[in-house]
Amino acid sequence: MKRFIARRLIQGVVLLFMVATIVFFLGRLTGNPVDLMLPEDATAEDRAALVKTLGLDEPLLDQFVIFVGKAAQGDLGQSIRMKQPAAEAFFNRLPNTLVLIPWALLLGMALGIPLGVLAALNRGGLLDRFAGTVAVLGVAMPSFWLGVLLIFVFSVELGWLPSSRMGGPEHYVLPVITLGTFLVAGFMRITRSAMLEVMESEFVKLARIKGLSETTVIWKHCLRNALIPVLTLWGVFVGNLITGAIVTETVFAWPGIGRLTYEAVIYRDYPLLQAVIILKSILILTINLGVDILYAYVDPRIRLT
Amino acid sequence: MILGVARIATLALSLIVAALLPAAAQEQKGTLVFAVESLGAQTLDPILEQRPGNAVYQAAMYDSLVGFNLEKGGVGPGVAERWEMSADGLTWTFFLRPGQVFHNGDKLTAHDVKFSLERQMSQGSVAAMAATMRRTIKSIDVVDDLTVKVVTSAPQIGLPASLSRAVAPEGSIMPKNYIEKVGDDGFRKAPIGSGPWRFKRNVPGDRIEFEAVTYNHWRGRPHFKELHVLLVPEESTRVAMVRTGEAAIASIGPETMLSAARAGLEVLSVPGTMQAIFQFYGSYRPEVKDSPIAKARVRQALSLAIDRKQLVEHIMNGKARIPYPFSTFEYTDYFSADKWGKWAQENYRYDPALAKKILAEEGYPNGFELKFGNMALPGTQFMVDIGTAIVDMWTKIGVKVTTKHYEYGAFVPLERGDQAQLIGWATMYRTAGRPDAQWRYNSAFQRDAGQRLLGDKDNCNAACEAFGKVYTALLDERDTAKRTALTDKMVEIVNDSWTVIPLIEGMGYYAINTRKVGQFSAIPGRHELGDVFERIPRPEQKAWPKK
Repeated sequence: MKRFIARRLIQGVVLLFMVATIVFFLGRLTGNPVDLMLPEDATAEDRAALVKTLGLDEPLLDQFVIFVGKAAQGDLGQSIRMKQPAAEAFFNRLPNTLVLIPWALLLGMALGIPLGVLAALNRGGLLDRFAGTVAVLGVAMPSFWLGVLLIFVFSVELGWLPSSRMGGPEHYVLPVITLGTFLVAGFMRITRSAMLEVMESEFVKLARIKGLSETTVIWKHCLRNALIPVLTLWGVFVGNLITGAIVTETVFAWPGIGRLTYEAVIYRDYPLLQAVIILKSILILTINLGVDILYAYVDPRIRLT
Repeated sequence: MILGVARIATLALSLIVAALLPAAAQEQKGTLVFAVESLGAQTLDPILEQRPGNAVYQAAMYDSLVGFNLEKGGVGPGVAERWEMSADGLTWTFFLRPGQVFHNGDKLTAHDVKFSLERQMSQGSVAAMAATMRRTIKSIDVVDDLTVKVVTSAPQIGLPASLSRAVAPEGSIMPKNYIEKVGDDGFRKAPIGSGPWRFKRNVPGDRIEFEAVTYNHWRGRPHFKELHVLLVPEESTRVAMVRTGEAAIASIGPETMLSAARAGLEVLSVPGTMQAIFQFYGSYRPEVKDSPIAKARVRQALSLAIDRKQLVEHIMNGKARIPYPFSTFEYTDYFSADKWGKWAQENYRYDPALAKKILAEEGYPNGFELKFGNMALPGTQFMVDIGTAIVDMWTKIGVKVTTKHYEYGAFVPLERGDQAQLIGWATMYRTAGRPDAQWRYNSAFQRDAGQRLLGDKDNCNAACEAFGKVYTALLDERDTAKRTALTDKMVEIVNDSWTVIPLIEGMGYYAINTRKVGQFSAIPGRHELGDVFERIPRPEQKAWPKK
């Protein structure tokens, strides 16, 4: 197990280095940051002075080495727009996104997994078709459109819920539904196919021959085994939620890291964007590592491969 | 018995206190909630924010050395109640309004004015005019607590205007003693100004909260107790917030105006807040001398090919108009608005036949290839639609347009520095409504300025030379008639060059929930409401007329 974790950690570090490299060189390709940092009427002398101060007159490779060295110490540069350390801006907003994710996951699992089981049990039946429709809608509906629709119905027309922004529990409902709808579809589909596979297994047949009740067979033996791929998907979905909250956070004026990413792009705040991408990568790598460890724990075959 | 007496005494005391309290304290109640698409850098330090952010939210808590004419929309008294120029034109003296205080109780004096201007000019400032101020201001001298002199290296007739928030944000006054005591970081965390709203809380990416001062402020006494400026990037969400009452006012674009009105919201239009324009970069440079866009007549033909009435009706929903010449408006100071209004009606007409004829005469009977950068500045998404429409109109006269779409953030660095990637291109742009044309003409056309659209230091043609001479003469002209004549001449040179071509004169639009705020009007030509919040009444104080 220790070797498995060590191997995954080394892979993570390599991946992170690759992300940092791509982010750094792409950032340099898109233009000179000095022009964004100076006032409109800055002179050529002002520009030259700032280039020197930032070390941008050094060879690109030297700049990269300095960047990696500083990043390793947690210094990911200064946001051009916000005039504060980019990492600080990220960590200020991170909790706002993290409070949404568990609820969206919970919604996805609470609805998706039972729906997937029921669809598998009623394969080809009405319930299965209904679940299929839910899955198609969940994947096909753009979250932007769904968010606006939910605001219109539940805030403007019915007046039941606030339209946007952070606040009490009622403020979470619409953003969580918007984020979670995609997950319902995902969990439903994977649970259904895993269940169908497990239900054909020899041990399930044996359980039935032994006279176990159908409820025990399905909800205890089948579902427990079908949940292994669901667990894998969980890690992928958390990553999707972290990177994909941009639209939901923009529609609901939710001040999380999704919105921060959007703002960094719009204002071409490339140190901030650089930091956001690297820190998101670390976050996703950490979560995936956690899932991998959990997965290896649940299914010993994984750590042996 | 004792308890009864105590109760009566408490009641009597409460009544006496209530009667003695200033009217302001009694009248201020509720929260004015304003939803806006961008909070810029969302910093309360004036030297770290550009014009839009300053005008939207910093204006609430900071006063400007020179203020607004609230009725007409131009320059008016501010922290300084009057100002005068010395006989040699090299010194401006500002006379401050007595009795002004910062939110911590410190008196606002000439020392604060000197400190603030010097801070705006400092290397750490991102103020658009920081480098220009460093070049033109020789010294700032405090005469006494209420008098300050600004000495310039050459006459600067437009200095007071450039220190008015009507034009630029560089006149914001900050507290010297406080900043020296707590340092820049301390000030940024707990900023203090002298405006009618004091800072309460800044939640990055979310909101800025202010509370009203309880004394009578010269800009007006806020009617609400608190002001919350919320960042809501999505327009449909902003409108939903106004409909549900979560926000009282939201900024909207022309595309949403009709649906907001249909939904029963009041829609406030502020005329003359901006011009959508297109402009040519480096059309004077040697490397584009053989390009069609190097010819003024070809550029004029591109203007004639544009049906501005269509843009006004179909993109701006009728809430826009044919513009005056570049960066001028009906309210522009020292400017012959009537004359130029007629000129614009004639010259900004739609005449595709003449456009084709000019192209043929200039040697392009089959059109030519044009590179066009389509872009919207923050808050003006309709500009992209305008850009798309004019590309279609140019195609109809045979011009083959290659369009590249830019986010504003990606565009900004391109026009700074050597502008290498923009030379020979036409791009969309915007200019905000300002009463002072000179300020904007400087940044667009001076040979050493940021955009330098007429010529640069190494390539200054006749129009560029002529502009430089007129602009220099304008800096020292105090006679109103002569100043108007010089402004007109400056406008004429730019018009004849066809390097910057206005498309429409736009308006600022707001969706308003009439149950949350009373009737108010914006400052003419001023899109942002930062200098209006304190004058917005509660609905029971002044109801909107029933529809």
